[in-house]
Amino acid sequence: MVPGAFVRVLFPTHEKPHRPGLLHIGYVVITAGPEAVIAYTTSQPWPSTMPMPMGARYFAAREAARLNQSRPFLMRLDQLAKLPMTRRWFPDLEQPGRGVIAIAPPALQTDLTLLAVELGRRHRELVEMRGPSA
Amino acid sequence: MVTWSIAWLAIACIWHHILPMPQAHRQSATPKHAAPHRRASGGKPRGKVAITLRLDADRAARLQAIAAAENRSLTNYVETALLRDLARHEEADRVITMYVAPGTRSTVRPEDVVRAEGEPDEIYAQRQALAMQLWSMPDNA
Repeated sequence: MVPGAFVRVLFPTHEKPHRPGLLHIGYVVITAGPEAVIAYTTSQPWPSTMPMPMGARYFAAREAARLNQSRPFLMRLDQLAKLPMTRRWFPDLEQPGRGVIAIAPPALQTDLTLLAVELGRRHRELVEMRGPSA
Repeated sequence: MVTWSIAWLAIACIWHHILPMPQAHRQSATPKHAAPHRRASGGKPRGKVAITLRLDADRAARLQAIAAAENRSLTNYVETALLRDLARHEEADRVITMYVAPGTRSTVRPEDVVRAEGEPDEIYAQRQALAMQLWSMPDNA
């Protein structure tokens, strides 16, 4: 599984944060050794009256189609999961293709990395300001 | 006639839910007591604050119908909807939520970070630094 891949993953849920959750397409932000950090994606529309989280990146229908996805979707680089790369979390890991739906083009990967880095910087500042529980 | 009856029923329901609140004085949508759930020093938690909600009759009737269908009082329905909205606002204010699977490591070596195909040195270096940060981040989900 390579960084920049969109992959089928059982992303954990808020209710059961330490167990494999519902099948989603996740974005591989980083892989290191046997583990990966995955960003959540959803095709559920964000309510128009709500401010979009700063880590959200919207993919309209055309861009989604280029990434082999049939619907517009929202990527949440502020909703991450650190997961072992095992079949328990990635159910298609041992199938041909390993559950990879698409690989983001290099320019998009760079954009997403820079957004994630900026979020990391803001998160660090927030932790310094409010303490580790922030 | 029927519409007016429903509208009056809705208004009566709202009135009914507002009047029996512990605080006798009703307040505008911006309550005077800031932080109603905060405990006074060493005392019991403060009660709920009553607010006046002005809606047009049609909408009030629709909300009443939805609340009834969900077997809730109108007050409970409105409160639940507002709390849901508040939770979304709070979520939007957070920076990163990290789910950490059991058994994963809390550190990572920069050289273990897999480089993306054709990734420029500068971007890779930033992703390595990000990896160090993300791996050490505690579960806050």
